[in-house]
Amino acid sequence: MKFELDAIYIEEGVRTSALARRVIGTVPPHVAVSYVADGREAARPIVEVEDAFGAGKRRMVIMRRRAPFLMACPAGSPKFACCGYLVLTLASNCPMDCGYCFLQEYLADNPGFQVYANYVDAFDELERLRRSASAREFRVGTGELADSLAFDSITGIGRDLVEYFAGRENLTLELKTKTDEIEDLIGIDPKGRTLVSWTLSPERVFRSTEHRTAAPAARIDAARRVLEAGYRVAFHLDPIIAYAGAERDYLELIERLFDAIAPARIAFISMGGIRMTPALRATARRRFPDDPMLVGEEVLGPDGRYRTFTPLRLKLYAALSERIKKADAKLQTYLCMESASVNSRVFGEAALPPAVLGARLAGN
Amino acid sequence: MSRPEANGAKTDDAIRQWSAARHLPDARLRRWLLLAHEDRVALLELAETLRLRTGQFVTMFELIEEIALRERVSNRSINVTIATTLARGEIRRILDASGSAPGRARELIDALRTIRFPRLKRVTARLAAEVAALRLPGGVKVVLPKELSSDEVRIEISAHGGPELERLIDAVAQARMGLGRMADLIGGADSLDDEI
Repeated sequence: MKFELDAIYIEEGVRTSALARRVIGTVPPHVAVSYVADGREAARPIVEVEDAFGAGKRRMVIMRRRAPFLMACPAGSPKFACCGYLVLTLASNCPMDCGYCFLQEYLADNPGFQVYANYVDAFDELERLRRSASAREFRVGTGELADSLAFDSITGIGRDLVEYFAGRENLTLELKTKTDEIEDLIGIDPKGRTLVSWTLSPERVFRSTEHRTAAPAARIDAARRVLEAGYRVAFHLDPIIAYAGAERDYLELIERLFDAIAPARIAFISMGGIRMTPALRATARRRFPDDPMLVGEEVLGPDGRYRTFTPLRLKLYAALSERIKKADAKLQTYLCMESASVNSRVFGEAALPPAVLGARLAGN
Repeated sequence: MSRPEANGAKTDDAIRQWSAARHLPDARLRRWLLLAHEDRVALLELAETLRLRTGQFVTMFELIEEIALRERVSNRSINVTIATTLARGEIRRILDASGSAPGRARELIDALRTIRFPRLKRVTARLAAEVAALRLPGGVKVVLPKELSSDEVRIEISAHGGPELERLIDAVAQARMGLGRMADLIGGADSLDDEI
């Protein structure tokens, strides 16, 4: 385990669960383990701590999930072209600490790092989904409210997931990460049903803003290794931050990626500009007051988020899209949380309907 | 000669008085008082000289802090602070000018925005020049999105009677190439390279 924990809280009701046993058996002896009646209380912010969100990341809470595991992507909105992504919430919060991360606002009231011991119940929900539309292809990811692999070496959830999805023809699992924690995946045969995706940023963004993540080169190398192990791989250039020199740096990043992994072997690349609600921006700046990536030329947009002003943002998208298409015209690219008109401007064609794009991204 | 800490205490008292009179939010006051002495003084001088309203002060404080951070990163050999930012020629010129305080406050916010958002300001100026070059008649207005926050261009036609409306529509039709170019610029067209 590369990430440190201060404490682990286990809800009484799940103390004998397989997940609790695995974690207790793996965690270093100096990490205190306590038992609590209700994990939700343990996940609340500690009021006397100045950075309650940051402290929450170091406090793992193993508990039962009361809400459904499967949901539509929270980024989805009629205002945006959508990729049809479904989210499987098996954990909440992340040991890494990116300055731009939306979890700083989204999880402000319950920042404890929750991991759900009853995660096998999610498989029942997935079975119902499959049966409800057996002709459709679904892409389901665990990397929305947590990093998919950050704690996999102690939770072992990744293995169970890959094995479950390996037998499901119309489901594709996306494990999204900024780590290089892939050892537990090697040696399992995903049968083409799992893709591992990495968020990639230039070195400058990584150094300035993506605290405790793996370096971009390490992420690309990890991707190359899981590809060799039989997994599909994908990448998210998201958030794209338009600092001075960004276009050159992002294009160099793409070059480095294509040098390591042939474009034809990449399932897809998504792009998305940095976007922050006013509340998120205020929180991020309070937590990272000296981060220059948080004071770019962002303006308040019609959707209530700060984004890089439109000509600059679209120019960056166009340059990166052109470079990707030049490498492989068939490599699927899409924009995250952008309007239909922005999609048309960048790609020269209308965005695909969510179900169609979703199936295309999920497909082998 | 008074001791530096006595000066500091005097400054802080003046800051507290100004903040109380303007109902400055506590969090903002705390941030002000946490600054280095010369930065605290520079902001107080700004607030008093231009007789700033609370909202104007908060906007300026934020812009100046962001400018200082951005410039510290782009040139690590220079110690850019709030005080040095306010000492810049284009800022000092506004502070020392003789116009009305509200007018200078507006001018200063605009100047700070130009420094804080240099590429946005260049693109906005380019688009404004493109609109002017179209020489559209008075009843036709090209409305660009505020701070170029979207890719929408709106054209408003105000006419009184059929003949005037026809004339204005014809003018818009004649300008269609230029209007199209402008819409492309908002979409990040390559010809913006110099500005971006």
